[in-house]
Amino acid sequence: MSSVSFRKRIQESINDPSLQTALDNNTERRLKGRAAAFESIPDWPERRRRAHAVRADVIGHLDDYLEKFTARNAENGIIVHRAKDAAEAIHIVLDICAGVRKPAPEVLIAKSKSMVSEEIELNHALEKQGVRVVETDLGEYIVQLRHERPSHIITPAAHLRKEQVAELFHEKLGIPYTTDIPTLTATARKVLREVFLTADIGLSGVNFGVAETGSICIVTNEGNGRMVTSLPPVHIALMGMERIVPGLDDLALMLSLLPRSATGQKLTVYTQLLRKPLAGQQRHIILLDNGRMRLRNSPLKESLYCIRCGACLNACPVFRELGGHAYIGSDLSIAPYPGPIGSVISPGLLGENYVDLAQASSLCGACKDACPVDIDLPKLLTRVRAGYSSQPAFGDGKGLSSPTRLGLQLYARIATHPKLYAASQKFAALTSSLLSPFSPWMRLPAFTGWGQSKDFPRFAGRTFREGWNKEDFSVHEAQVPPQNVKDLPVTPPPPSGMSNIEQFTNELTMLGGHVHPAKNVTRDVIEFLKARGIHRIHLEPNTLDEHALQETDIEFTHQPDDKLLVGVTNAACGLADTGSVLIVDGAEFPLQASLLPEIHIAVLKSTDILPSLPAAMHRVKEVDAAVFITGPSRTADIEMTLTIGVHGPKEIHVFVVDG
Amino acid sequence: MTTVQLFITCLTDSFFPQTGGAVVDILGRLGIHVDFARGQTCCGQPQFNAGLRKDARAIAEHTIKVFEQTRGDIVTPSGSCAHMFRHNYPELFEGDTVWLPRAQTLAARTYEFTEYLVDKLGITDVDAKWNGLLTYHPSCHTLRGIHVDHQPRALLAKVKGATVVDLPHGEECCGFGGVMSVEHPELSAEWLKRKISNLEMTQSPTLVVTDAGCLMHIAGGLHRQGKKQKVLHIAEVLNRI
Repeated sequence: MSSVSFRKRIQESINDPSLQTALDNNTERRLKGRAAAFESIPDWPERRRRAHAVRADVIGHLDDYLEKFTARNAENGIIVHRAKDAAEAIHIVLDICAGVRKPAPEVLIAKSKSMVSEEIELNHALEKQGVRVVETDLGEYIVQLRHERPSHIITPAAHLRKEQVAELFHEKLGIPYTTDIPTLTATARKVLREVFLTADIGLSGVNFGVAETGSICIVTNEGNGRMVTSLPPVHIALMGMERIVPGLDDLALMLSLLPRSATGQKLTVYTQLLRKPLAGQQRHIILLDNGRMRLRNSPLKESLYCIRCGACLNACPVFRELGGHAYIGSDLSIAPYPGPIGSVISPGLLGENYVDLAQASSLCGACKDACPVDIDLPKLLTRVRAGYSSQPAFGDGKGLSSPTRLGLQLYARIATHPKLYAASQKFAALTSSLLSPFSPWMRLPAFTGWGQSKDFPRFAGRTFREGWNKEDFSVHEAQVPPQNVKDLPVTPPPPSGMSNIEQFTNELTMLGGHVHPAKNVTRDVIEFLKARGIHRIHLEPNTLDEHALQETDIEFTHQPDDKLLVGVTNAACGLADTGSVLIVDGAEFPLQASLLPEIHIAVLKSTDILPSLPAAMHRVKEVDAAVFITGPSRTADIEMTLTIGVHGPKEIHVFVVDG
Repeated sequence: MTTVQLFITCLTDSFFPQTGGAVVDILGRLGIHVDFARGQTCCGQPQFNAGLRKDARAIAEHTIKVFEQTRGDIVTPSGSCAHMFRHNYPELFEGDTVWLPRAQTLAARTYEFTEYLVDKLGITDVDAKWNGLLTYHPSCHTLRGIHVDHQPRALLAKVKGATVVDLPHGEECCGFGGVMSVEHPELSAEWLKRKISNLEMTQSPTLVVTDAGCLMHIAGGLHRQGKKQKVLHIAEVLNRI
């Protein structure tokens, strides 16, 4: 049987009731959420086909796209570094740290989620050099406090239950023991807010790099991704070099699939597009190879199409039993990428250490079906098993036990000789009838694997081939006339007949946001603020009538201030099908105004409500930085329980004016 | 008269020959002449899935040669072996100018049994009769490998006297997975447990499948647990007249 330590880890996972409950919850909620989210795009099979083609084109012409992407970034004032492996990437980060005018022990990095950083074990390397790194995604923060690796690429703490988080926060953060998830979340918000405001460097991953514009797209629900990319004076974006899309239209396509697949959302709460550094900010992109270029020229190339949504993990019956921590290499280290995609890219990028993982699959194909870019994962798993890789050949049948290997090889010899085959069947039938003379089922010992949970059928006394006799079977009668069989028609949902504003209102309301139709927007906002007892706000210029405001007792400032409860911004446009608003960077910090306060008020013209994301893409082409905001900040990192208001605003109010 | 070749598959041949008999009977009643090439053995799927491609290839070449000497469509009572012909043979012979076309020709002739009845013959009613409940487990390679699902369901829907009930989470793997059931028996056992408890929820005494692998796995688990439910290949249900 397969590697002893891996199997032991599998048994431990299966025998951990708390883990099993957590994983069952993860599976069930994620599968349901994903299915529901895809209902709103009935043309998803076509989108999936296109997304596959886009990814294939990018990986096929990666050098050209990277050259374009790098050139655009140079024009845009972003410093692009190339790292051929983990050591180089770490070195580049340390160099940037050294440029911060502080001795190493005091450099503080606020980090949002990055799987690439897990792949190169960045935190460990930085901490060794005295740099303090704080994970700010709630799930990542939890696993960092526990000194663990994330167990899922989207929900890092998917293996934990709320009681474990409660104990952890009680022990490490000194709060009274509570399993109330909003309280736990609020505690993390408070602790991490301080980190955002004092960090020297913000470090993030990248979901997509757009070759056409040089923009990087980062999606987060909590708002931590926005904090680390906009508050510290230096931002480092760590990016796998395969994460390119050619243009903004392709990005819109990918964004229609990624959040739906990952979290069952139509759009992630914060979808950021960063094209230039903000005023006074330094931005770096580190493009990591670490085996990708080798993988690209290997039979596992298709694995580079992955957009890291985690849908294959949620769909995988193996992951459902194991969680992310049981995927271990022969050196017992936990593979950075778990699940079906991980069993391909962990050995593909990091080598033979993780090659046995690919045997833990029934090749049931649930992963392929779930993949938004239609990666043929079962095929890739069989390739890993066959020893195909970017590395020097691993040899075939990796991870197989010797008896299984020998048995299959012997069987192959027999199966190419029909007479020997038939004789072997006779022999097997005879042996099994001696072993089990009275029952058609045999109880095999557990060490055979099969015998652990099921009985084995006795070989048939007379095989089909023995019984084959034309006279026995061929009963010829008149042919039954064929009937018409049609596939069930796929009916698209009826056209909603809703106007953009109605749809926008519905979508945002469902997400917990608020839409206020406004006749006189300044007066309506003033009334809102008065009703809430708010007297100071961060206001983006040219949003409200400032003279009218001055006549009230409401003070406003154009500077970001962590103490303010309300930020008021313009919305460049709205998206009807997702309830999103677009905030673009400008002179007076509208990005911060829509991020730091607990309440964000956006002023949107009704004529600026567009049907969906693709129609809005031209509006972000030239802007330095922008974010599509889809509802209030949220997380589901503790027991998949939706909690509103993590790092970003807890409330979003959109005042819609005629125009 | 139409002649088809029966690819019986190794598991059906050795363990469940009655399934093969049912396929021949049903096709015979529809006026289809069934031929059986005696040189056939196994499709090589166990070796392919385990990563032993050299061995898989030897069996695949043998199988291609055997069927090249025959004429007509190839019908097989196994979704996973049809999937092997259709998707894994081309993978196995990728870039091979001699064998790839031969493999593709074989794949183009091959139909899973219910797919042949419904898609090729256009028949959903084979005059079968049953008394009581049935529930259907869509085998992974039938459902997701060759995308055959409405065909077996349509055939079962026309069985007189049968009430077909939905198997909860039917699309989940039963845990067979060929060598996985031996190499990772702990995983296999968990899925099997779940499959059996879902079957129990249906109250159906009979589970219908389209693949001998799932059949022997689930039936073996039911027998070990001392359960009364039976697992039948769909051909055996459709052959009750």
